[in-house]
Amino acid sequence: MITVEFVLIVAGALFGVGVYGALSQQSFVMLMMGLELMINGAILALVGFWAFSAGGNPQGQMLAIVFMTVMAVEMAIGFTLVTNVYRVRRADITEKLRRLRG
Amino acid sequence: MTDALVADVLFGAFALGSVITGWRVFRTDSMMRAAFFLLASFAAVGGMLVILGAEFLGMVLILMMAGEMLVMAIVMVMFMMNPAGLNPMWMVHQHRVAVAAGVSSFLAIASLGFLVDFREDPNVQPEMATVELGIELLGDSMLVFQTAGVLLLATMIGAVAIASSRGRFGAAEEGSEEPALDPEDRAAS
Amino acid sequence: MRPAAPLELAVPLVGIVVVIGVYVVAVLDQAISELVGGGTLRWRRVAFDPLRSAAHLVTQQRRTTERPDTPGWILAPALLSALAALALAMVPLGPTTVAADPETGFVVFSAAIAFVMIAVYLHGWSPNSLFALHGAYRFGAQALSLQIPFLLAMLATTLPAESLSIVDIVQAQESLWNVVRQPLGLPLYLVVGVGASFWGPMNLPDAADLAGGTGVEDSGVARLLWKSARSAMLVAVAAMGATGFLGGWWGPWLPGAVWVILKTLVLLVVLIAAGHLFARVRVEAFVVVAWALLIPLALLNIFVSGAVLL
Repeated sequence: MITVEFVLIVAGALFGVGVYGALSQQSFVMLMMGLELMINGAILALVGFWAFSAGGNPQGQMLAIVFMTVMAVEMAIGFTLVTNVYRVRRADITEKLRRLRG
Repeated sequence: MTDALVADVLFGAFALGSVITGWRVFRTDSMMRAAFFLLASFAAVGGMLVILGAEFLGMVLILMMAGEMLVMAIVMVMFMMNPAGLNPMWMVHQHRVAVAAGVSSFLAIASLGFLVDFREDPNVQPEMATVELGIELLGDSMLVFQTAGVLLLATMIGAVAIASSRGRFGAAEEGSEEPALDPEDRAAS
Repeated sequence: MRPAAPLELAVPLVGIVVVIGVYVVAVLDQAISELVGGGTLRWRRVAFDPLRSAAHLVTQQRRTTERPDTPGWILAPALLSALAALALAMVPLGPTTVAADPETGFVVFSAAIAFVMIAVYLHGWSPNSLFALHGAYRFGAQALSLQIPFLLAMLATTLPAESLSIVDIVQAQESLWNVVRQPLGLPLYLVVGVGASFWGPMNLPDAADLAGGTGVEDSGVARLLWKSARSAMLVAVAAMGATGFLGGWWGPWLPGAVWVILKTLVLLVVLIAAGHLFARVRVEAFVVVAWALLIPLALLNIFVSGAVLL
């Protein structure tokens, strides 16, 4: 029953929920949760392709590790910038950042 | 129950669990629960990766996400005005656009499975996955591995440098000020 | 995945081991505290006091706070017990006697230790109480700093085994125990193990200066469950230390399972004695030590063992 179509449906659902979160949330932290969900879906789709269409090529697993690295980096720098933007502009939701130059 | 049936049922349960908890992240009032719902979604995806045969990747994902979601919970409490969910909260903008974008991206990705004729090349040796990954990591893809390591190091240094309250020009509490831009004013200040 | 024991046999066995382990920890704790305090050791008192306090806690009146996060409050000790049971299920008693032997057993164990962070943070957040939250944040700082030294210290044991599976790690110690081959490994593992299971000198989340920290609002059965879960986690850390560093089931004359139990008991005595002999660390100083001292030591351990292997 586990086929590449089923894995893609689940990965697409996760990605879709992530896109909804990233576009709709006003708070920075919730927005980043949406981004995390998107990368989650991407990793799942990648490993699905690796298991069903790539014959277990180890470079597929390598790419998944790169994805996880990107996720960690994005979270770290994202939270750092959120902290700094709060310090400089007192903004904790995206609506408070209306001007490009402070 | 054969092994394949157990694997199928578990995979379906993990799939349903990950999507539902991922959805609940944005629907719950309590911010702490949002962070832990996201952790549950990641743990379910990790379980799915293990069932697909990438055992190392699944467990490493679960291991990483424990620490990341703890940091996410701490940052939630720092920045959200309502971390415990004692009042209902609905902070969204462009809601219909977001729903449309989410649904259309889901349909685009899900339909890929039915429209594209993927190569039928299943992984015949899932028990060798970890060994092959290890050989690949330190063999052909060594450069990628090193780059990822240096990238993480640069991220750590950069994050500490940006977020530190003692910036380049002194501590924040002591009223740090950048030096003047013109050299003449700089000599005076 | 290797074939493991059938589920109907493994789960009750692990449960029984957890309960016995919790009782043994309580007895050892009382015995060592009496010995350290200079008193005489009365066996009947030491053996029955844990049962007496458990009975007292079970019949104690339940208290609750204002607007707690009740699902989280119930989940936290359950999660900690489940993690301890998972870690104990991976301890092998013999070459084929193990409840669960995943191919990446080392990563599963490390993930269980990482989730202890989540359980303690949830336990501190849920009662909606000040000191509990304070304890949770202290443990956040402590556990995040200890993650990397923990992974690196245990990683060195996988190098001679050339495998991530716990059974392979023990098989590789047939000729020489890891404590001799990697002398830095066991002290480092004990330090980070005590930190990860927040016992004794690293008991920052449930500290006495926080009036009990994350467990300050616990009462009755919940309090008993949290203390039992903590003790079970300590047993799991000691058991994994015995398999990873002290050679697991290898040993003359006695059957392998008995050796595992003896070595676990030795490590338990060391860890509990450390709880009574060392003062609690300060979180600011400890975080500096964890990042600046423990990580280089763990890396040195790995370099040396890798060089020896090459």
